[in-house]
Amino acid sequence: MRRHALLLTAAAALVLAGCAGNGSEPDNGGTAPAGDGFPVTVGEVTLQERPTAIVSLSATATEMLFAVGAGDQVVAVDEFSTYPPEAPTTDLSGFTPNVEAITTYDPDLVVISYDPGDLVAQLNALDIPVHLAPDNPSTLDDIYAQIEDIGALTGHADEARRLIEKMSSEIDAIVAEAPERDEPLTYYFEIENTLYAYTSASIVGTLLEMIGLENIAVADDPSQVSVQLSAEFIVDADPDFIFLANAQYGESVETVSAREGWAELTAVRTGRVVELSPDIHSRWGPRVVDLLREIADAVSRAE
Amino acid sequence: MTVPTGPAVRVRGLAVSLDGAEILRGVDVEVAAGEWVIVIGPNGAGKSTLLRAIVGLVPSAGDVRLFGRDARRMRRRERARLVATVPQQPVVPPGMTVFDYTLLGRTPHLRPLGRESAADLAVATRVLQRLDLTEFADRELSTLSGGERQRVLLARALAQEAPLLLLDEPTTALDVGHQQEVLELVDELRRAGGLSVLATMHDLSLAGGYADRMVLLAAGRVVAAGPAASVLTEELLATHYRARVRVVPGDHGPLVVPIRPASAGPAGPAGDARM
Amino acid sequence: MTHPSPARLRWRWLVSGVAAVLLAAMAGLWLGPVRLPPGAVVLEVLDLVPGLDVDSGLDDRQAAIVTRIRLPRVVLGLLVGALLALAGGCYQGAFRNPLADPYLLGVAAGAGLGATAVLSVYRAATGTAAVPAAVPPAAFAGGLGAVTLTYLVGAAGGRDRSPATLILAGVAVSAFLAAAQTYLLQRHVDTIREVYSWLLGRLAGADWGDVRLLLPYAVVTTVVVLAMRRELDVLSVGDDEAAGLGLHPQRSRYLLVGAASLGTAAAVSVAGLIGFVGIIVPHLVRLVAGSSYRVILPLSMLYGGAFLALADLAARVVDTPREVPIGVVTAFLGAPFFVLVLRTARRVPV
Repeated sequence: MRRHALLLTAAAALVLAGCAGNGSEPDNGGTAPAGDGFPVTVGEVTLQERPTAIVSLSATATEMLFAVGAGDQVVAVDEFSTYPPEAPTTDLSGFTPNVEAITTYDPDLVVISYDPGDLVAQLNALDIPVHLAPDNPSTLDDIYAQIEDIGALTGHADEARRLIEKMSSEIDAIVAEAPERDEPLTYYFEIENTLYAYTSASIVGTLLEMIGLENIAVADDPSQVSVQLSAEFIVDADPDFIFLANAQYGESVETVSAREGWAELTAVRTGRVVELSPDIHSRWGPRVVDLLREIADAVSRAE
Repeated sequence: MTVPTGPAVRVRGLAVSLDGAEILRGVDVEVAAGEWVIVIGPNGAGKSTLLRAIVGLVPSAGDVRLFGRDARRMRRRERARLVATVPQQPVVPPGMTVFDYTLLGRTPHLRPLGRESAADLAVATRVLQRLDLTEFADRELSTLSGGERQRVLLARALAQEAPLLLLDEPTTALDVGHQQEVLELVDELRRAGGLSVLATMHDLSLAGGYADRMVLLAAGRVVAAGPAASVLTEELLATHYRARVRVVPGDHGPLVVPIRPASAGPAGPAGDARM
Repeated sequence: MTHPSPARLRWRWLVSGVAAVLLAAMAGLWLGPVRLPPGAVVLEVLDLVPGLDVDSGLDDRQAAIVTRIRLPRVVLGLLVGALLALAGGCYQGAFRNPLADPYLLGVAAGAGLGATAVLSVYRAATGTAAVPAAVPPAAFAGGLGAVTLTYLVGAAGGRDRSPATLILAGVAVSAFLAAAQTYLLQRHVDTIREVYSWLLGRLAGADWGDVRLLLPYAVVTTVVVLAMRRELDVLSVGDDEAAGLGLHPQRSRYLLVGAASLGTAAAVSVAGLIGFVGIIVPHLVRLVAGSSYRVILPLSMLYGGAFLALADLAARVVDTPREVPIGVVTAFLGAPFFVLVLRTARRVPV
């Protein structure tokens, strides 16, 4: 049994070594002058001074960072952070992140929207502050809160506040312009051509409700933000509008009209199938205003 | 260690039912120490089932004693030290050498999680020598011919050093030369080592030549038992095998010669003698 | 008297196995997206040995990369690879089936269902997209639950069933649980990303906690299965003959399968579903080193561990800075390698 003892001893030694490993102390050097907002604590993360090497692994967070004016503090963003165009896109992945690769940018703040398991823990082990901003707000207030957080963390709290006010007033304006209707117009908001749709409980549902639109996919469970509908259900519900979030993936008015049995739908016959601009329907940040405006315009044009 | 006493095998009133069908009923078999008893019978008579019931591979009713002890009360290891079986269709594990296969026979003598001692290795080596298999020791079992393989099966059984040997159709797949070789070997080992042997066989003449006593099993019952001459009779064989045979005396026992029924015969000297 | 030698693990194979492990470990520690001097890496690891105090010259962050990112990952890869290969070899022997892998009796389907259930509930309750700490225990419970269910389905009825019955029960249970998992996923389609990435297997988030979690199960499985390696050899002649040699084949089988399933469930719970290692490594070993389980099992552990550690290295280096799911890498690397060995081996002992 000697060879087994060898193996087990080796394994045991490695484990003991790991347990004996020291935890690193947080870096307390360099205090920022008081009054410029630092040190700041947001959620789990505390920053001693203004970060100048931010890595963002979330497309939404990237948009927020640039919108509050922190763009020049950003050194790297993930492969899907395509907006704004001047963002320093790299091959970093937000879905299958490689911790070591992140460290090569020597970041002093990492913003993520998804933790595949232990990413936060590993970054902490390396003493890299990490802010987790989940990408699934249910209300506008959730979005505003995230913008505020980003503003605080980057030393742009004032700009963040101004951005929020601007967004808020623009949205109010769009809502005010929306006409009063006795019966709300119904819509089907398609995410994927396998008939996945956002429900009334999603942020999309909340937003569109504000301009008087009613989702045909009513969710009884408030946590269910998307659902797969059956073609029968959609045809039976005969929505007034069809919004395509997958237009950038090949779906179009033509392809929808060509679906079996869909040519008879009101929305198809009266030209109320709307291809949405890319990305604004999945980045729950400053451009959510653009989404609302685009939809509101499409609705008013059709009437 | 208890010294085995009494007949090697003593079966009384054995009954076996499988899936509701009665395979054996009221079977009595006895093998005295050092005897070679051969069980014969037509296909489906239950010969293999009899052997399997004796080692406990199928549930049975009735009394089964091995060397005076109740077979069902025995623990498996104990039974394995008393009975070694060479099955009719053994599994040949791919990649196993002859020596390792033979060593498997030492299993009942090893401690539960132990491994083979030098003594065990010596037993296996001796057995291989005895059976003229030393040159094959490192060969893979699957590469041997039928005759050689049969000897290896025997080697494993002998490595068990059990006083009772059960052989299920030991000669079926062999040519006549190898058949004789194997049976002579068993006989020699039996005389030298005080082995008791219970075998089932197809070939009636071979059986007659080697058996001390025979048992004729038909439709699950014993229809005749005793010395070969009393079991291998034209009447009995005609009745139970539904075959026409002639029994002629041989040097070691009766020889059974199948006779073609008289109604159909060769067409004539120049005709085709189709069989 | 001299006699022929029985099947034993030859020293040269053992040494080469250990060398493979060391090589894989060193490669895993030296290589990665961040370049570190190899000598310093070795010193840093030595510094961890209690009693030794060595200065490697690396700064805190670099040292942390070695000891808190790479080292636990390498150790976990070695452990998981060893466990899966051991379990696979054990299953192949217990069922006398060369196509057996550690997931045969439903561990994968059960663990997947457990993980999916937790991920769905968590997402629904908190709205956060993250993999909560409850996933590994749920996967573990699910995996073991599935094997228990397979046992109940396949072994019920008193009379000793053949090994094939148990395998068929495993197929049925796996299918049923996989369907349940798919249904859950459909209802909670927003968790699909987390579930999918978990299913594909990952060592990327490995930390010492995972290693500590896995170690006791690994020890139990290893001790039980290795202790029974001779019985596996005896089982290779079939249940009837094994019984004739004094064994209780079905009892042995349950014990072996139980121990192997325990280890597999534990491995899956920390590392997700990693395929290929469990079925191919034992075959590779069988082809080159011999058919006795006394050879196959220990060598499978060593080579399985080395293989997975190397696969993990590839997973994080090949498509940097992305992480390729490790299940993809094991198949990509393993299949051609296996074909190569198959073609050059003298015999195919199956």
